[in-house]
Amino acid sequence: MINSREASAALADIDDIVQRVKQSQLYELASLAAVWWGVLVFAANLVTWLWPIYAVYAWPAVDVFGVGGLVALRVLNPPHRGASFDIRLLLVFVLFFAFGYLCTDVIGHFGPRQLGTFWPIYFMLFYSMAGLWFGYAFVAIGLGISALTLIGFFFIGEAFPLWMAFVNGGGLILGGLWMRRI
Amino acid sequence: MAELDDVIHQPLRLKIMAALNALPVAAGLEFSRLKKLTGATDGNLGAHIETLAKAGYVTVEKAFVGKKPQTTVTATATGRGAFARHVATLQEIIAGKQG
Repeated sequence: MINSREASAALADIDDIVQRVKQSQLYELASLAAVWWGVLVFAANLVTWLWPIYAVYAWPAVDVFGVGGLVALRVLNPPHRGASFDIRLLLVFVLFFAFGYLCTDVIGHFGPRQLGTFWPIYFMLFYSMAGLWFGYAFVAIGLGISALTLIGFFFIGEAFPLWMAFVNGGGLILGGLWMRRI
Repeated sequence: MAELDDVIHQPLRLKIMAALNALPVAAGLEFSRLKKLTGATDGNLGAHIETLAKAGYVTVEKAFVGKKPQTTVTATATGRGAFARHVATLQEIIAGKQG
């Protein structure tokens, strides 16, 4: 029989491994979501770069397919058996987009370049903040993409949408694949 | 008075069972994922999984994903029960009922 100190150590080992499993599962789901958004954002930036007049259709489509993909991921991977879909997930996105449009279309009147900078940084702000609770990978991806977006905004000329295709779209895809390896 | 489970009590086997028990029922972990989570070597992990499988605490499924072999380890109902009892015993020891 073991003493209480050894028993405490064994329970601490169990807690540690349970946390690591939960982190690993979260990263796996977040990885799929990041790759999904990355592909959509990459495509929409390419459309904006090659056929700017279609950008007005491409970005709302990204929002709809992006959120739809996240909802599908959540429904297919419930947090526990029998869990119903939490409507708060949709409300988070409604509030997120409502505040974004309030800033870009009502309070300010952003041009294409400002819009192409605002939305990734705004998105990555939440990504980074979530990372303070859910894991350093979110913070690293969020800050990295935000910094590269700002570099593009200040220093890249006409090719800004192409830059953003690789920085935002490519960054999310690579970040998502990196999460799977942590 | 409950006894500690000798099969589960070994540190690496405890980690394996804790990891598998944290998953939903019937869900398993790939060998490579388990290796990363526990920090064990291939040989060591394989040997301890075999011990758990012989005790009926886990099942091991081998399949091919494309051309790559993939081994998935899943806790059985017996294993989950044994793990729960083992944890309860550890808690009893800490509470001073044993040891």
